Amino acid sequence: MKKSLVLLVVLTVLGGILAGCASQGKQSVLDKITKDGKVMVGTSADYPPYEYVDDAGNKTGFDIDLMTEIAKRMGVELVWVDMPFDSLVAAVQEGKIDMSISCFNYSAERDEQVDFSDAYYTSEDAFLVKSGFAGAIVNPEDVAKYKIGVQSGTVQDDWLTTTLVEAGLVEDANISRYERVDQAALDLNAGRIEVLMADYVPAQALVKQYPDFQVVYHAVLSTGPLNIVLPDGDAKLQAEINKVIKALQDEGFIDTLATKYFSE
Amino acid sequence: MNFSSFIQYIASGTAYTLGVTLVALPSGLVLGVLFALLYVYGGRVVSRLMSLYSTVMRGIPPIVLLFILYFVMSGSVNLSPFWAGSISLGIISSAYQMEIVRGAILAVSGEQMLAARAIGMSTLEAIRYVILPQTLRLAIPPWSNEAAIVIKDSSLVYALGVPEILRRAQLISASTQQPFLAYISAAVIYFALVFIANRLLARLERRLTIPSNP
Amino acid sequence: MPKPILTIKKLTKKYGNNVIFHDIDLVVNEGDTIVVIGPSGTGKSTLLRCVNLLTKPDGGEIWLDDLEITAKGADEDRVRQHIGMVFQNFLLFNHLTALENVKLGLTKVKHLPEAAAHEKALAELTRVGLADRADHYPGQLSGGQQQRVGIARALAMDPRVMLFDEPTSALDPELIGEVLEVMRNLSLEGMTMIVVTHEMGFAREVADRIVFMEKGSIVEEGTPDDLFYRPKYERTREFLWKITELYGKKEAKE
Repeated sequence: MKKSLVLLVVLTVLGGILAGCASQGKQSVLDKITKDGKVMVGTSADYPPYEYVDDAGNKTGFDIDLMTEIAKRMGVELVWVDMPFDSLVAAVQEGKIDMSISCFNYSAERDEQVDFSDAYYTSEDAFLVKSGFAGAIVNPEDVAKYKIGVQSGTVQDDWLTTTLVEAGLVEDANISRYERVDQAALDLNAGRIEVLMADYVPAQALVKQYPDFQVVYHAVLSTGPLNIVLPDGDAKLQAEINKVIKALQDEGFIDTLATKYFSE
Repeated sequence: MNFSSFIQYIASGTAYTLGVTLVALPSGLVLGVLFALLYVYGGRVVSRLMSLYSTVMRGIPPIVLLFILYFVMSGSVNLSPFWAGSISLGIISSAYQMEIVRGAILAVSGEQMLAARAIGMSTLEAIRYVILPQTLRLAIPPWSNEAAIVIKDSSLVYALGVPEILRRAQLISASTQQPFLAYISAAVIYFALVFIANRLLARLERRLTIPSNP
Repeated sequence: MPKPILTIKKLTKKYGNNVIFHDIDLVVNEGDTIVVIGPSGTGKSTLLRCVNLLTKPDGGEIWLDDLEITAKGADEDRVRQHIGMVFQNFLLFNHLTALENVKLGLTKVKHLPEAAAHEKALAELTRVGLADRADHYPGQLSGGQQQRVGIARALAMDPRVMLFDEPTSALDPELIGEVLEVMRNLSLEGMTMIVVTHEMGFAREVADRIVFMEKGSIVEEGTPDDLFYRPKYERTREFLWKITELYGKKEAKE
């Protein structure tokens, strides 16, 4: 587990004590959203094509368009709060933002701090290599033989840690963790790592960026369904968001978005 | 996108960087001077307390204090990311500035205090008219160093999503897949800020130098 | 009948178990110039610092006119305004010009209006012959000039008594004369002074009384003639003989 994540967990537990468990008996965040007429949504806009900024500096991407539509359906104004990925869960938990959409996957750890919406999209994990890679990856565990890179704090990082490191298949020191996936791509290109594990969609984007790269394996490993992160124990808000997601899936809106952002 | 549009996009975060610095540095100075005076003249108990404050605050990584103020304390005070960042950097800087000023006071005090008391000044008057004017002059060179550190540490508020220089560099790096250009641009801007700040302080130091024969 | 300005009774100072001086009795009358002599480390400087309360005595009393300044609750800052102090190392305020050094106490302690303070400060600088150096900083002045500014700074407060703590021992020999000259004039003007010094020529010429201190107590006290020609104690004679031997050649040059 990432150090900063440990730190955040410690801090947020502390925060709970200091705040005197103020969350008990609080009104639903949905009421606040409706009353204010606006929803504050956190995202880490550095993860194309899910969320990033365009040349004009505006936020764009799969998650961004989806959330924009969700807010529209809820009839409230959408206020984006940009934050590094590591800070988002804590920000939802402490009520600094109402919810967060940032390519989040369900994880048991996160579920202890916050709640999740139903999945709005299911993504896969991918292993990227540079041309000239002499090895072979038939089963996902095969990557243990190579120098692996991953974006820290992600579910891919989690998967590597639990499936490989804790199972004794690889030394933790053999895994290079990067703050951001494009930094990992630089190192893959430079030969400092042999395999880069990432979400399948951004992995495909990297292949377009670096013609030497190729995806040698992709499947649902760690990633799987994407969910919106919601405040803990707020059933009313959760129900409302799930309702909107269901409608958008039924209408084919989300498939259209996926084609727009993920097709090659 | 070319280099100049990178600079332009990232430089628009300079207002936040300067904002955080201009809150943190002066408030750290006021607290630092106050605490340094308490340390030197406050008696044994107060002096111990100040020493403890300095040790603790210099021992805490700025980012931890930032998270404590923003996330942990959010039940009691709801600070915006900007203020949480500015205040925590100000608090930590106050400990460093306290050490700077304390060193300068010890270099000046003693005999100058004696001379001031001898013409009937109270300790407070002596501090105000004799000790501080000399202390603050002495403190400028190390203080210029601290100013550079605070300017650079202000980048930490990116962790709370304040769109300052570093955060904007990250965003544009991700969207353009050109991290080298993005971070070089950020480095250039930080360097320019620190360079200008140091030049201004050097000029101030020259202006305030007390004339003496070579 | 001469009027006592300063009366010291059974004054004692210790640092831990180390007795600096003990049971010092001394009466200083108005207009007196008292020169205190004695070997180094006999507590002469500490005695001066006790007199203006820069150091707290451990026993005894000090009276300034009719006020016991060692009494509990005495306003030390007020007392010091009436007792001028000149230090061995001058201790001018380094960030201020000669004029500002003299003026600071006038504006900040005596709260004189700016113009009056300026005029008074300039007059005191003129008194020590440094009106033309008014705008110089201490770093731009010679040691002798700095010490004269130090004297002017103390004089500006119109003290009842002036204390000089080895005012010339940090000076190059050729600069001692100008400082002693200023002090000699002060004495002639009737200023009450206590001077700790090794300048025997000055002591012999200017002092009304010389006090010989050794090992923390006063050995002998009397007029210059008494001490130089008719000392009561062998120790006094020995010390004066030694000190004249040491400093005599330098004095001859003046």
